[in-house]
Amino acid sequence: MLEIAPELANVVLQEGSNAPAIPSASAAALAVGLAAFGAGYAERGIGSAAVGAVAEDEDLFVTGLIFTVLPETLVILALVTIFLV
Amino acid sequence: MSSHGGTSNPEYVNARVRSRRAALFEEDDYRKLARMSPAEIARFMEESPAYEEQINALGSRFSGVDLIEYALNASLAEDFEDILSWCEGALYGHVARYLRKFDAWNVKTVLRGVYADTDREAVSDDLIRAGEFDDRLLERLLDADSIEEIVELLSGTVFGRALGDALDDYESTGVLVPLENAVDRAYYKLLRTDDLTGEALSEYREFLEAEIDFRNAINTLRLARSGADIDPSEYFIEGGVLFSAAGLRQLASNTDELIQRIRESRYGEELSEALTELEAAESLIGFERALEVALLEYADSLGLVHPLSVTPVVSYVLTKEREVDNIRAIARGKEAGLGPEEIESELVVL
Repeated sequence: MLEIAPELANVVLQEGSNAPAIPSASAAALAVGLAAFGAGYAERGIGSAAVGAVAEDEDLFVTGLIFTVLPETLVILALVTIFLV
Repeated sequence: MSSHGGTSNPEYVNARVRSRRAALFEEDDYRKLARMSPAEIARFMEESPAYEEQINALGSRFSGVDLIEYALNASLAEDFEDILSWCEGALYGHVARYLRKFDAWNVKTVLRGVYADTDREAVSDDLIRAGEFDDRLLERLLDADSIEEIVELLSGTVFGRALGDALDDYESTGVLVPLENAVDRAYYKLLRTDDLTGEALSEYREFLEAEIDFRNAINTLRLARSGADIDPSEYFIEGGVLFSAAGLRQLASNTDELIQRIRESRYGEELSEALTELEAAESLIGFERALEVALLEYADSLGLVHPLSVTPVVSYVLTKEREVDNIRAIARGKEAGLGPEEIESELVVL
């Protein structure tokens, strides 16, 4: 197991080649995707609480909607990386 | 009945429960209610969103205190059924654990009804349809003609095994006590807290342990007061932290020691005033109310530390129960002609 470790490090570090393992455009795309994933997870809890609150009192619809989409700002901020690369 | 599978959804349930909790009566409202006539209380309840539907539905058939009583029961049942139907996954188990108390009540009511040959209508009125049993099972229980048939119907439920075991005792002695004890024991056994691990559930566990400890304390005090020669360990409920079966037998004969034990426990601080009163006035009623207030205080702070767990739901269940008890006490007190001050002293408020 240990004897292949240097070999593995070579591959990971792309020894002998100048190109990075993940090109910058792909890295930016990954960043946006991961941010969206986080936003989705955050919205899961908020959304179900908001639906519960609206079911009890319909006046809370607007408040609930605003809180539900708040984590969406994560994705918007992550989009900046697309323009930076 | 709702699904038991899936993941817990505390966010959804808590949002709904908190909204309902905000609509409950406050202390000022009780003060107002204590000065109203039964008809006015009914009108006051109609204005509250929690009871509006029930008062309107029952208003044509009943009036006065009966209307209030039926509306309270209906509202309680509907509320708790709603909560159970919202819960999913592990949360359902935790909430149902506490609400099975109403199942135990219903089973005992049906058993007593059959034993005393009461007519179906009267037994049906006394049921609180708030537990885990669905209406179909309750209807079949009401239709049953014999104790054996009821035990048979319940064989698939959580009370099945305990009742089956107690049936022989019932048949040989002819009294209901073994069966009623079996139901209570089965309920408290299910409350057992061994499987509630984790930080968020530790609060809930503490609350359930307090409930069991208080029940043990009250039972022992009652036995000591009545002077009956009954072994208190027969009525001992497992799961508390304060007493053991053997210790309780000793304490039953020495009330001062029992009070001392409670004073030194983790409940001592909250109960110290009531304990002093108990030592002096020797009145159990005041002490029982103090225990209820202590439980309610527990419930009030439950769910503040871990908002996304079962605790806010249990807190609401307790508060709602207390509200229903309080309004019923007010209405009954009015009917009996008590003054507002006397009624207020009977209420359990924070």
